Amino acid sequence: MANNQLSVTGIISLFPELMHFRPVISKYIILLPMVLGAFSCTDAEELKKEQYFSEGYQLYTANCSNCHQPDGRGMANLYPPLVSSVALKNKGLLSCIIKYGMKDTILVAGKQFSRPMPANPKLTELEIAEIMTFVSVKWAKDSVYTRIGFVTGSLADCQKRQGSTNL
Amino acid sequence: MSFTKKIFSIALFCIFCTVLISCNGGKKKLPILGERDWTTKTIDGKEVTDTIYNVIPAYKFVNQNGDTITEKVTEGKIYVSDFFFTSCPTICPVMKKQMVKVYQEFKGNPEVMIVSHTIDPDHDTPKVLNQFAKDLGVSGNQWQFLTGPKEKIYEIGQKSYMSTAKQDSTAEGGYIHSGAFILVDKEKHVRGMYDGTTEEGTKNLVADMKLLLEEYKNGK
Repeated sequence: MANNQLSVTGIISLFPELMHFRPVISKYIILLPMVLGAFSCTDAEELKKEQYFSEGYQLYTANCSNCHQPDGRGMANLYPPLVSSVALKNKGLLSCIIKYGMKDTILVAGKQFSRPMPANPKLTELEIAEIMTFVSVKWAKDSVYTRIGFVTGSLADCQKRQGSTNL
Repeated sequence: MSFTKKIFSIALFCIFCTVLISCNGGKKKLPILGERDWTTKTIDGKEVTDTIYNVIPAYKFVNQNGDTITEKVTEGKIYVSDFFFTSCPTICPVMKKQMVKVYQEFKGNPEVMIVSHTIDPDHDTPKVLNQFAKDLGVSGNQWQFLTGPKEKIYEIGQKSYMSTAKQDSTAEGGYIHSGAFILVDKEKHVRGMYDGTTEEGTKNLVADMKLLLEEYKNGK
């Protein structure tokens, strides 16, 4: 409490105009630890999901959106959409495509696409997990984040996943 | 000087400037870009200096239908040119998305064309370009996709269109090229360079194309 008072005085001495609001400010400063406490009560998982989502958004913008577009709707018959693609539901396959690219002719939402997608050897497993979190939370209504362990496991058996062309 | 006097003189200056600008014919005219040269001739005993502007030279390439295309294809038209390659994973898709907007804006206008040069002719054969155009939703001849000998493409890109286009194994996709859209007038002078990777650059291009068409309408 004494500390709060001290900092309020400190702030007010810096900005004398704030003098009028003195009681209001001290009230908020008392509230602050309570608000912070409430936040730490939110699920750590939820926080991690948000972290992955925002990192994933950055990575998607840098690595994917040129072709798949910022809105995930792809571009004409050149690049397939992610929104409404079955691939978003098949996360094992999705991690393989992100890492190793793809050469098959595929069918997405009734349209045929045959342009190869380049591999992304530079992306780490964490980054792939973040991108997958972003796309699947954003466009497949996924409610949990994609774990690194899942990506590691999926990448280990990408060979087996080849051959699915209806995405 | 008192405060009101100051304000008054600033206002007066602003009005003066406005009048000055509006007296200037009202219309902005696009510059002619590129390297210039001069010649001096003697006409009627007087020495006259003429500016020689950068002009897109004669060329011969093959388009997405396998037809041979020369500079004659854009005769009497203004056109926008760019450099790309179909397997490009970086800026090309963004540029093409923007160029489609230009295409839609001037679709069917007999005075406007688009000329896209591939910088990867080994891969981008007329057949590949044909499929690319189709997949992009482009039909007809208003948008030409040209391929040809690599050194000719790089030469016209670097020298005439002032646009970087070359092979570079360290670059993603194997080539580096600028993301510029280049506006060329009916006299084959470059009249503007725009950032084809941004919405804003493309808007500026479309606005300048309208200005340029206006120039011809008003009789140059």
